[in-house]
Amino acid sequence: MPEIMIYSDRLPLAGEIIAAAKELDKEVSAVGLNESDAGELAAYGAETIYVLKGESKRPEDYCWTMATVIAKVRPESFLVGATVRGREIGARLAAILGSPLMSEVNRISLAKGALETERTMYGGAAVLTETVGGFAVITISGGKHQSYREEGRSAEIVTVAAEIDTRVTQVRVEPIVRAGADITKAARIVCVGMGFDKKDDLAIARDLAAALGGEVAATRPITEDRKWLPAETYVGISGAVIRPNLYIGLGVSGQIQHTYGIRDAKIVAAVNNNERATIFQAADYAIVGDLYEIAPLLTEMIGRAG
Amino acid sequence: MARIIVCYKWVKSEEDLRISADMSVDLSKAKGKISDYDRNAIEAARLLAEATGSDLVGLTFGGPDAKPSLKDALSRGLTQVFWVNDSASASADGSVTSTILAAAIRKIDDFILVVCSEGAADTYAHEIGPRLSILLGIPVISYAIQMKAEGEMLAAVRKLEDSLETVSTRLPAVVTVLPEINPAPIPGLKAVLEAARKPSTEWKIAELGLSGDNLHRQTTVTSFKGYVMNRKKVVFKEGTAKERARALVASLRKEGML
Repeated sequence: MPEIMIYSDRLPLAGEIIAAAKELDKEVSAVGLNESDAGELAAYGAETIYVLKGESKRPEDYCWTMATVIAKVRPESFLVGATVRGREIGARLAAILGSPLMSEVNRISLAKGALETERTMYGGAAVLTETVGGFAVITISGGKHQSYREEGRSAEIVTVAAEIDTRVTQVRVEPIVRAGADITKAARIVCVGMGFDKKDDLAIARDLAAALGGEVAATRPITEDRKWLPAETYVGISGAVIRPNLYIGLGVSGQIQHTYGIRDAKIVAAVNNNERATIFQAADYAIVGDLYEIAPLLTEMIGRAG
Repeated sequence: MARIIVCYKWVKSEEDLRISADMSVDLSKAKGKISDYDRNAIEAARLLAEATGSDLVGLTFGGPDAKPSLKDALSRGLTQVFWVNDSASASADGSVTSTILAAAIRKIDDFILVVCSEGAADTYAHEIGPRLSILLGIPVISYAIQMKAEGEMLAAVRKLEDSLETVSTRLPAVVTVLPEINPAPIPGLKAVLEAARKPSTEWKIAELGLSGDNLHRQTTVTSFKGYVMNRKKVVFKEGTAKERARALVASLRKEGML
């Protein structure tokens, strides 16, 4: 009997989740939506793969069949990659199966035989640990586990004809056109906060980013309220979660929802004129000072050295 | 008149959360607020109600402390608000909350759309909207950044990690919206004054006709602690601007960042 069953619409994340389940010393089965995924899931270490065959391009439309497979196989838990689609699927499965959902879990472990999960609450200010005795659906955040891929692993493939939920029709899918570079991939980030007075002043941040060879990101009010930068550039729990080597916040107050998005940055630096700003609690190095005065100096010093 | 129901949650403000030396979390001094993203959801629902000529009502499940939320929500453009008042909300998980909200939605009845935000500011579990769709037996469109009702259909644009998916579904449906769908304006004085005269309805869980079986949290909380970021917290505040800048650059260089 497979002990943990997993699904993710993103194969690399499926790989991470398989690895997380294997760390618990569990046998892992996976759900895939086509045969080519099955090979990848096997390479990541899934021992049994349920390939749901259907016509829909939307993974959400396979929910009911996933629930049927889960009810039949009866795994101890069902882990889903916490992508946008994955979060919807996880919640719907939990409702269909009448089970709890532990959502966007960062860590999963065993405590006296029960599954124990850890997740953040209050925008990242608190950490909740909970255990579950029976079956649960758990969505797992990306980037928290290391996957192990090995070509040529074999797995048992079980093909299941899927019953597609046709109620939501996909009209089209178009890529998000990013005005700038992808901030989740940049090694150095200069982040614009509400300490900036007007849009034209963003040149100060761009100059510093250019001197660093990095990109400009923003806090949520800059993109959502002032609309100075595109939505893709805002960092935080509801925006981009980034892992740069260096983050420099300019005029960033450091609200918990924002700093959640920079937890995994190697070094956090900040410039803020308010000594009591919470960013000082979340930074490695910080300057109390006027960003309009300090940032150009940083640009000059870094540019000169580079 | 067709009805749009918007759900919201009264949460403790994370800004007032106090973390003690032993890492325990003190919420006793925290003020309440309508969950930030729910305010965007209320406005999105209001705009849609306006465009379709629908009646807009609010629904919340919260303890006695959620009472101030009624006037706040009403000032945001609702015609009336329904409040399932039970202190059981404090320990409710997504399963319990969605069961109660679904029962209340059935009781409100005659709706074409249920609007929720993607997640609440405290738990941010992203589950209520999709769970409601299953319990109500209607489709869900999640993570919408645009939506438009066209006759009996709802068309919406969903924001995925790197693409936008345009979808449509037949009403009634559940939609969850991202905060970027629209700003959440602060209610004006007139709207606040009007809110005082709008009706609100209070229900107890017992009035929703639910059996007790599915009203218990199925997980056990083993710990709830503050999170502290482990950073060096070196602050340069003395000297001229140039000296402070130089000190920061020197530190970054030492860290191998430059």
